[in-house]
Amino acid sequence: MSAPALFDVIGPVMIGPSSSHTAGVARICFLARKAFGERPEKARVAFHGSLAATWRGHGSDKAALAGLLGLHPEDERLSFARELADREGLVVDFVEVRESDPGLHPNTLRVELEGGGRKLSITGSSIGGGAVRVENVNGFPASISGELDAVLVRHRDRPGVIAGVTGILAAAGVNIATAASRRNQKGDEALLVVEVDGVPPGAALEAIKALGEVLAAVHLPSVVS
Amino acid sequence: MRTSFSSAAELLALVAADGRSLPEWMVAREAFLTGRDGAAVRDEIARRLSITRTALARGFKEPQRSVSGLTDGAAAKLHALAEPPVRDELWNRALAYAVAINEVSACGGRIVAFPTAGSSGIVPGLLWAWRDEREGDLTASSPRLQDAVAVAGAIGAVIAARATLSGAAGGCQAECGAAAAMGSGALAWLASGDPDRAFNAAALSLKNSLGLACDPVAGLVEVPCVKRNAFLAGNALVALTLDSAGVRSAVPFDEVVSAMKAIGDMMSPQLKESAEGGLAMTPTGLRAKAAMEAGFPDASRS
Ligand code: SF4
Repeated sequence: MSAPALFDVIGPVMIGPSSSHTAGVARICFLARKAFGERPEKARVAFHGSLAATWRGHGSDKAALAGLLGLHPEDERLSFARELADREGLVVDFVEVRESDPGLHPNTLRVELEGGGRKLSITGSSIGGGAVRVENVNGFPASISGELDAVLVRHRDRPGVIAGVTGILAAAGVNIATAASRRNQKGDEALLVVEVDGVPPGAALEAIKALGEVLAAVHLPSVVS
Repeated sequence: MRTSFSSAAELLALVAADGRSLPEWMVAREAFLTGRDGAAVRDEIARRLSITRTALARGFKEPQRSVSGLTDGAAAKLHALAEPPVRDELWNRALAYAVAINEVSACGGRIVAFPTAGSSGIVPGLLWAWRDEREGDLTASSPRLQDAVAVAGAIGAVIAARATLSGAAGGCQAECGAAAAMGSGALAWLASGDPDRAFNAAALSLKNSLGLACDPVAGLVEVPCVKRNAFLAGNALVALTLDSAGVRSAVPFDEVVSAMKAIGDMMSPQLKESAEGGLAMTPTGLRAKAAMEAGFPDASRS
């Protein structure tokens, strides 16, 4: 593996006590909330592996609530996330999955959100020092670090969609860092993840949504300040 | 710009070919990787340094007490110690500073994962102790202090590339052990300006924390973590002293990191942050766990 960026090692700026159990969890849940786009009516967070054993003491639930409230992981209001969630009427069902799964990183969580007739499930791992990797979005394999802004596009698996999306972004002056499209098992739909430098303009996102074969598109902001 | 490296040897060769200093090159690389300019990277280093200084001040001013009661103002006690048995100010400050920052982290305050929250006191504790004892005119905005952070980051980046910086994956050698290596290297660089000396000090330091288990009581990042920040800051100062005397690590840094990785892979999952071994399974550890699972009935919640 090649060495990570400096601010991945010296960072993130975070609210204690644990980079993997607090900051990483807050980041994954923040990404889930942004991918969902609004406050969910129902939410379930499953802690796997080491997280299942130790989430209580680390306040991983507070971190998850803060993320699902849309609080940035650096936000000191994270300490009061339980009270804020009560006030906003956000109820989250926390579950522990104790069996270890050799296919998963020891610190993995699965977030399921529901509301407005929509469902989202995200599996993410807190891979150390607050760094995260979203590995699955609604059954589509992915690899999202949250370091950069990203555009997530769910689309029918037809030729030309990826070129259409990257063309719109390029025309809007957005530099594309990475682009990867993965099919789900059924093979008919795919999820395109485009990581970009800077914030993609709203108009570009609307243009992407208007493309034929595109089912949904959402902007995922960076979790890094 | 070629930014990819996975060993200290590779990194130092790239830097030597480039002509800039190691920290200058690291800042340029960061600018390249994140699409900002070098000044913005330095501003961000300064911001992160300032956050650690704020945490440090807070750890002394308000004795930190955690909900579990396992963290109870050790930094304030160290700060108040009138006649320390070891009479060296760099040493005493480094230990106290490391604990102060880490107690703030343990109690849910704002810190910088350096490289993780559990080990967050070591590198900034060492840097601020050096500043207060040796170079009082340095501030977070001083390029020299920022350079020391970049050197620490370079060492951590090599460890991340060859092994891991996660206690769950590699045990505490990968967190506090890595932090001490980063901190000793940063100080060796401040002392000598020589990147090779920085990696030598880091190798000396890391060798002495190989095999360190991660067995936190009740899974909380408090015991042994908070006090270990002081011990590993001390470890870094021993490495600095050896390096300053011209003592070379018999095993070069890259090989030490590979050994750390191999040891981490051999360690039982019970000793890697799962709180199912070691200190976590002592009678005291199990009592703390039971108290946590009962929601800390004895704790006065604030
Ligand atoms: S003992 Fe474990 S939790 Fe504590 S600092 Fe070390 S690696 Fe982190």
